[in-house]
Order: sequence, then structure tokens, then C-alpha cells
Amino acid sequence: MASPCVQDVTFSECENSHVGKLCLQLNCNSDCVHVLRSMVAVMTARAGLDELQSNRVATAVDEVFANIAKHAYGGKSGRVEFEAQIFHRGDKSRELVFSFRDYASVGWTGSLEGITAEEPDAETLCPGGLGLKLICSVADYCEHETLDDGNRWQLGFVI
Amino acid sequence: MREADMTLQFELENQGEGSALLRVIGDVTIHTSPRLREQLKPLLTAQMKEVQVALDDVDFMDSSGIATLVEGLQWGRLTGGRFVLSGLRDNVRDIFSLAKLDMVFEIIDSTV
Repeated sequence: MASPCVQDVTFSECENSHVGKLCLQLNCNSDCVHVLRSMVAVMTARAGLDELQSNRVATAVDEVFANIAKHAYGGKSGRVEFEAQIFHRGDKSRELVFSFRDYASVGWTGSLEGITAEEPDAETLCPGGLGLKLICSVADYCEHETLDDGNRWQLGFVI
Repeated sequence: MREADMTLQFELENQGEGSALLRVIGDVTIHTSPRLREQLKPLLTAQMKEVQVALDDVDFMDSSGIATLVEGLQWGRLTGGRFVLSGLRDNVRDIFSLAKLDMVFEIIDSTV
């Protein structure tokens, strides 16, 4: 008997399972970041987000990736594993979750506590630090864990 | 959302009387924002009275792109020059709004 065709499985049936999870491994210094964005577009479409919401999610994902590339790997090449999945929560809402895993020898030492996009002062505004503010203003949560051999980030969006 | 554009293109128009318009075409990310800086920096060091950056053809901009534009803002503050952004698409304007930078930059509608 032939195996069921992929098209026989709806996206909602794939959620909460490895079938619905998208995984990607890429070089943080490569020119294939557009693949990351394509993955985000697929997942936000599955989640039923509109273009503006999808762009916000893409921005937060892009910022975490850029943070890894810039701070963990210092602009050099390095492996980043990226996973995206939709989970059902107990209260019948769903959660779109993106996980990043790097293998950098440098652990991220910043803090996500208390980061808010306060109204900037035009006189003192400086170019740095905008990325984390954007992440924290867009995502429902952003968690970082320092591992023995790298870092793990998780971004969550309740949908 | 269209497929992310890894290239960034520019059109520079000298509008006379110390004014320049830099049109940016493509997505501004950590990989492409150094090219925006390369294009912008000579304008900010020249004796310009006004620099306008047209973003009509930018679908996506991350914080590295915004940080580059903040340098233009600083130039305006230091020199008294006018630094203007124009033609922001909804996605880009939304990011400026989230960062609460829409009240800091001078943003005008498209000049096209």
C-alpha cells in the first residue's frame, strides 16, 4: 500500500508533532538568511498571522539570529540550528515557538530583564541596543540559556 | 512577505543646493546594512544641508538598518543639517513605531 501523501495531512494535524516542525542548520555568516525568513513565512502562514504580524515575527527572529552572528560568533562563521513549531496550549490558544542553538565559545552575557522600548531621547539616541528592544516588544517571551558548548534561545508568540 | 532580498541597490540623486536623495532598494539587514552605511557616510561628511533617504523600495529593515539611519540623525543634530526618511512601507514604519523612533526621525510620505 502506498504511503499517505504529505498533502493528506493538514497543518493543524502536524502541530505538536515532529511532522509540523521545521528545522534548519545554517552558517550565521552566510548569505542564506533568506532561507530563515522563508521558514518564518511558512510558519506564520500556518499560524494564520497577517502580513504585519508576520513581519513582526520575522523581525524578532532576524534580531536573535543577528545577535548570535554578531555577539556569539563575533562576525565569524559558526553553526546555528534553528527550529520552528506550533504548540497547542492548555487554554486552547496556540504558541509559535522558534529555537536557536549555537555552538559559540562565547556565552551571551546580556540580560533581557527590564528591556522595554521606552520613548527615545533624540539628543542622546545612539545606534546600539535596538535589537533586543525590538525582540522584547514583539515576542511574548524570549529566553536565553548558556550551555557548556554554546547558547540556546527561544522566542515565543502566543497566537 | 516577499522572499528576502540579499542584495541592496542604491540610486543617488543630487538635488542641488546641498541636497541629496538616496534611494534604497532591497532589504536592510545585518548582512546588507554595511552597504547602506557605505553609501550614506560620504553624504554625511560632505557639506550637505539636507539628506533624504527614500525607503519606498525597502520591504524589511532590522535594527542594524535602523542603527545606520540613527547615524544620519546624529549628523543632523551635530551639523544642523536636515535628515529625512521618506516613503516608508507599512512593515518598515511598524518597526520604527515599535522602537518608538517614528517620533524621533523626520518621516515624510513618498516623493515619487
